[in-house]
Amino acid sequence: MFELGVKVAFSLAQIGVVFGIVLLTVMFLTLAERKVIAWMQDRMGPMEVGPYGILQPIADGLKLFFKEDIVPAGANRFLFSLAPILALVPALIGFAVIPFGPNLTVELFGIQFKPFVISDVNIGILYILAFTSIGAYGIILGGWASNSKYSLLGGLRAAAQVISYELNVGLAIVGVLLLAGSLSLVKITEAQAGGFWHWYIFAFPFPQIFAFVVYVISAVAETNRVPFDLPEAESELVAGFFTEYSGMRFAFFFIAEYANMILVSCIAAALFLGGWNAPYPGTLIGHLGFPHFAWIEQVVWFAAKVYCFLFLFFWLRATLPRLRYDQLMRFGWKVMLPIALGNILVTSIAAYLFPKS
Amino acid sequence: MAMKFKAWLKTITFYEILVGMKATLKHLLHYRPITLQYPHEKRTLPDSYRGMLALLRYDDGTEKCVGCDLCEAACPSRVIRVISSEVPGEPTKRYAKEYYMDMTRCLFCGLCVDACPVDALGMTREYEWAVYDKRQLLLSKPQLLAIGDRSFPVREKRLELQHPNVAFFNVAFKFMPPKES
Ligand code: SF4
Ligand code: SF4
Repeated sequence: MFELGVKVAFSLAQIGVVFGIVLLTVMFLTLAERKVIAWMQDRMGPMEVGPYGILQPIADGLKLFFKEDIVPAGANRFLFSLAPILALVPALIGFAVIPFGPNLTVELFGIQFKPFVISDVNIGILYILAFTSIGAYGIILGGWASNSKYSLLGGLRAAAQVISYELNVGLAIVGVLLLAGSLSLVKITEAQAGGFWHWYIFAFPFPQIFAFVVYVISAVAETNRVPFDLPEAESELVAGFFTEYSGMRFAFFFIAEYANMILVSCIAAALFLGGWNAPYPGTLIGHLGFPHFAWIEQVVWFAAKVYCFLFLFFWLRATLPRLRYDQLMRFGWKVMLPIALGNILVTSIAAYLFPKS
Repeated sequence: MAMKFKAWLKTITFYEILVGMKATLKHLLHYRPITLQYPHEKRTLPDSYRGMLALLRYDDGTEKCVGCDLCEAACPSRVIRVISSEVPGEPTKRYAKEYYMDMTRCLFCGLCVDACPVDALGMTREYEWAVYDKRQLLLSKPQLLAIGDRSFPVREKRLELQHPNVAFFNVAFKFMPPKES
């Protein structure tokens, strides 16, 4: 009984910390995105709230919190309220299996814990894929339940887009899974230890660089970001699937989008870029003789990789115009899918010829 | 063949996209914003800026407007309404008894200013005229005179030899050919 209590308490604490970090990152991202894009376009971005506008996310959050919560006439009330939650929960729930740091175990009251991953499920990546697909339901239902043509069109586009690119994400990942021989994100990351030439993007026997490119493009498309932001194409569909949403429900969609961005960045870091592993063997702090504090460096490496990836999202958004819808579909099915399939084929032959030890 | 290969290479390496991304990154690194932080800093207006309209006075404080209605006729968007009447006790002299401008419709073309034969209208450099109630933009004569008073502190002298009943017509004043002598 005591053992269970401690375990539950520790897990809850972990969940709280991860949620806090994710939501803080979302807040930070909303500001960082506006600032980075503004700088790229020779603007200043938000400047009014706080010095250089750094308190803007708080002001935005407060504003959204106090906004009127409008349900349009003729909307399906139940689904209209359910949709934002359906979008947000899968985006946050994926973080349960992300390893933020090394696979250490800490002993507390005679019970072992892993501090840097909430739960090391042995089908981690499958779990994430499954849940992110549920997120698409939130978008589709939100678009349908609003009783508005713009929302409906946005929802339909989101459905087609998320499903076709979800496939590419899954197939791009398969190559890594073949090499690692595991579905657990912790095991996959551990297999990439020992320098950047062991990361799966560069690794022997077959570098997953093509898979990485496919993954990046599909991840951008899956999170509905520019240049694949057709579901919320503001120049055609007002705001796409969340046209009719306001207040906290809109905020839910917004948080879901940014949480999804963080999630796909975390997956990219863990699968292709070596997760918490430094690009050189071991860690600097470990070499200096403090192996107990090596986790600090490793967590920093993980965060750095994730943020580089997030920066790429902003960078793409500042650079590229939106694709046309048929281009998007053709690109997904006729270009990305064959590359991903070919990558699987070559990787499996390579993995067969050079089996792991 | 080589051309084709080159084009193919450009496609698979996303060459065009990379060029675009290089451009945006360059702007990020050489950050030189062109934003003007508007309420805190304002741009200098050009001399011929066409801002808020105003009614003007002569230096002795009398209104210039003679109620001729020409501005109302010139205005393309029917902003102006002049109700002209005789000056009491002076049957030959007229003035604008009431003068309204519905600034919600004004497009600041300046035709009314050009039309006025006595230069009674002026365009100021005021532009911060956002209001919460658009009825506040229906301006009456005292308001327009007040705008003129605060924007044009230097007033035109009333001509000495001008009979008080005769307006000084200067319709084509600025287009007059120079005198030969
Ligand atoms: S500026 Fe043009 S639109 Fe405005 S009142 Fe004068 S004539 Fe009319
Ligand atoms: S044109 Fe000039 S003088 Fe005539 S009514 Fe208008 S403002 Fe007055």
